[in-house]
Amino acid sequence: MNHLLEVQSIHTFIGQYHILQGVDVRVPKGSITALLGRNGAGKTTTLKTILGLTPPRQGKVVFEGREINGMRSFDIAALGIGFVPEHRAIFRDLSVEENLKIAERRKGDYTRKQDFLFSLFPDLKRLINLPGTHLSGGQQQMLAIARALVADNRLLLIDEPSEGLAPVLIEQLMQAIRQLSAETTVVLVEQNFLVASQLAEYYVIIEEGRSVKQGKMKDLVNDKATIHRYLGAA
Amino acid sequence: MNLSIFFRKNLMLLAILAVLAGLFAAAANGMESSDFVITLLRGLSVGSLTFLVASGFSLIFGLLDVLNLAHGTLFMIGAYIGWTVYVRPDTFVDLLTPLALVFSGFMLGDVWTILSTRSLFAGGTKRVLPWAGILVSALILVGVLRSYPVSIWNPEDYAQSPVSISYLAGQGQNILPPPAAFGSISPLLALAGLLLGGLLLAFSLSLFNAGKQAVSKRLGWRSFAGFGAFLLAGIVFFVFNDALTAFLAALNTNWLFLTAVTVAVGAGIGLGALMETTLIRPLYIRPIYQLMLTIGLSAIGIEMVRAVWGRPEFTMPRPELFAGTGEACPATSLSDWWQYHCSTMILLDGRIRVYNEIFVPIVGLVVLAGVWMLLQRTRLGMVIRAGVQDREMVEALGINVRRVFTLVFALGVGLAALGGVLAAPSIGLSNMMGESFLLNALIALAIGGLTSYPGAALGSLLVGLLQQFIIKYGQIGIPIPFTDIIFKPTPPIVPASTILLMVVVLLILPNGLLGKKE
Ligand SMILES: Nc1ncnc2c1ncn2[C@@H]1O[C@H](COP(=O)(O)OP(=O)(O)OP(=O)(O)O)[C@@H](O)[C@H]1O
Ligand SMILES: [Mg+2]
Repeated sequence: MNHLLEVQSIHTFIGQYHILQGVDVRVPKGSITALLGRNGAGKTTTLKTILGLTPPRQGKVVFEGREINGMRSFDIAALGIGFVPEHRAIFRDLSVEENLKIAERRKGDYTRKQDFLFSLFPDLKRLINLPGTHLSGGQQQMLAIARALVADNRLLLIDEPSEGLAPVLIEQLMQAIRQLSAETTVVLVEQNFLVASQLAEYYVIIEEGRSVKQGKMKDLVNDKATIHRYLGAA
Repeated sequence: MNLSIFFRKNLMLLAILAVLAGLFAAAANGMESSDFVITLLRGLSVGSLTFLVASGFSLIFGLLDVLNLAHGTLFMIGAYIGWTVYVRPDTFVDLLTPLALVFSGFMLGDVWTILSTRSLFAGGTKRVLPWAGILVSALILVGVLRSYPVSIWNPEDYAQSPVSISYLAGQGQNILPPPAAFGSISPLLALAGLLLGGLLLAFSLSLFNAGKQAVSKRLGWRSFAGFGAFLLAGIVFFVFNDALTAFLAALNTNWLFLTAVTVAVGAGIGLGALMETTLIRPLYIRPIYQLMLTIGLSAIGIEMVRAVWGRPEFTMPRPELFAGTGEACPATSLSDWWQYHCSTMILLDGRIRVYNEIFVPIVGLVVLAGVWMLLQRTRLGMVIRAGVQDREMVEALGINVRRVFTLVFALGVGLAALGGVLAAPSIGLSNMMGESFLLNALIALAIGGLTSYPGAALGSLLVGLLQQFIIKYGQIGIPIPFTDIIFKPTPPIVPASTILLMVVVLLILPNGLLGKKE
């Protein structure tokens, strides 16, 4: 199978803590892959390790056939990986437009993508000159995703987009992610299993810093025992 | 509606500003209008110089999380470098060739990266090699520089000390000594030694980073462009040494002053970039060591300045534009001043010094606006503002944050150096000028908000005004109401007063007047 990203038994330390103790993730090109697991399992750390923000001490990260572990994180991102961090980390002191412009990797990226971004998130157009602080939680989340789409990224790492959003907004967000995944491969961390199962084609379960199970989402949905054991949800 | 929210949110800030405005009005009431104007302008002047230190310090702290306690020393070094170019252009020109040749080696970063990653040596040799290289290069450089001819003053000999030279230059009687000549060493050998020493030093330092950098570098003409440019510059400065010296010495003092300012700022930028890449960068994971390093560098800087320029204080002469003393002076208006270039001017019955009290605040305002535009209107500014809040996310967007770090550090030190060279003709040069302005700047930032750019400006302004008003009231005294007592604040109260203001502000607004709540 054609894998855009392959994470091979990575071990990551934060300070002296051995956080990831062997995580394997294979992400087929053109798919949405969900990282599942309880709080503190190591999902966010996995995304950060892929980006080199917390570099792995062991193991390999291969993106488009190229080994990227050990590279500096801005070089990794510049290869074509977009990141939507948890807790909607937009730049509060920058206006909405600046939040998008800062993500340009080539001149004119923002102008070129404008129409696409506003078709995904029509609200942003109206808010374009507001400072980031004034946005509501949902608007911030949309901005964070839009920001990751400004440059031509072939892989998007999205961390808990639905966290703390009202059901209507979650619906809107799922629409947008589905739409953008037509062009971009997505790795999605999602606590809300309903959301994850509707969006993703593949899944990886992480438990205490290890990837314990992965496969097709449609198989997992029927595997009540696994869901119960690792995710605790029904 | 929006306005009422604004008032509610900033109630404390507005209250403090109102109290300060009240104090200010009271202070204005208690003195003659001439005294008031002078004090106000002096406050602006000190505030501007403080701002030049504070703004750079706060940019560096905001983005890099580095408390650069050497910032004051760099301010001072800016002053001494500016003085050197202005008063002793021959010394400055003599130093250009050695500097250019030694630094040319550092422009070959790509070559060194490739050479050091192809590990030719293994094990123990690899660990000893950089140190051996540094030792040998240091021996070569010291050996060559000892006999390299640089025409320079002598702080030990009063007649040739900076104090005397500066005094004579102020009287328009600065006569440069005959150029120094090569003695015990042949010129060719000296140049070759400097070049070799620089190359070896740069290579040895790069060995420490072996294997830590991206290996996928390829050599192209760009890898050699910087080296070539510096080498060429070194040779050109060598060949045209006398001509360049004569040109600078014959220059109108206004232009010479501008040159001195430019060189000081450029030197600050260069020093900042060098300091960040070599000393600060390896210590980002150890902030305490970084702090100790900057304190150490500050002490070393002060000692070096003492060794080279001596301990006594002296003043840099003012350029011709601000030095007129003829019959038509003091000037009565700005156009009058422009015509006669008077050093002083009458404004509302007060006699003010044009350089100190008009020029310096104007430069302060221009820099304030310029850096504000840089921050608000350019991509670099956008990256800086974003990085102050969330460095990791900026990096995750694919932006080379390290390069931005170096740029900001260099810019910050450049601003401090500008402050220093501007201060040289007004408050004069002394070994302790850096420390006192760093303290001022720290207090200003605590008052205004540590990482807020407008906060740095507001804090510096308040510190400058408060100090100058207290000093003035130390002269004229404050009548205590309902008594016959006239209270005269003594000089030690000056720093104490700004610290008191700081404490009061921090008690009410722990993040400073314009600081963000984290
Ligand atoms: N800076 C840190 N220092 C020490 N431990 C950390 C640090 N950051 C994360 N951890 C630990 O690493 C583990 C994995 O954290 P991570 O954020 O990856 O979990 P997660 O799966 O994303 O959880 P959540 O669903 O709550 O976001 C947690 O136990 C956390 O406590
Ligand atoms: Mg997480």
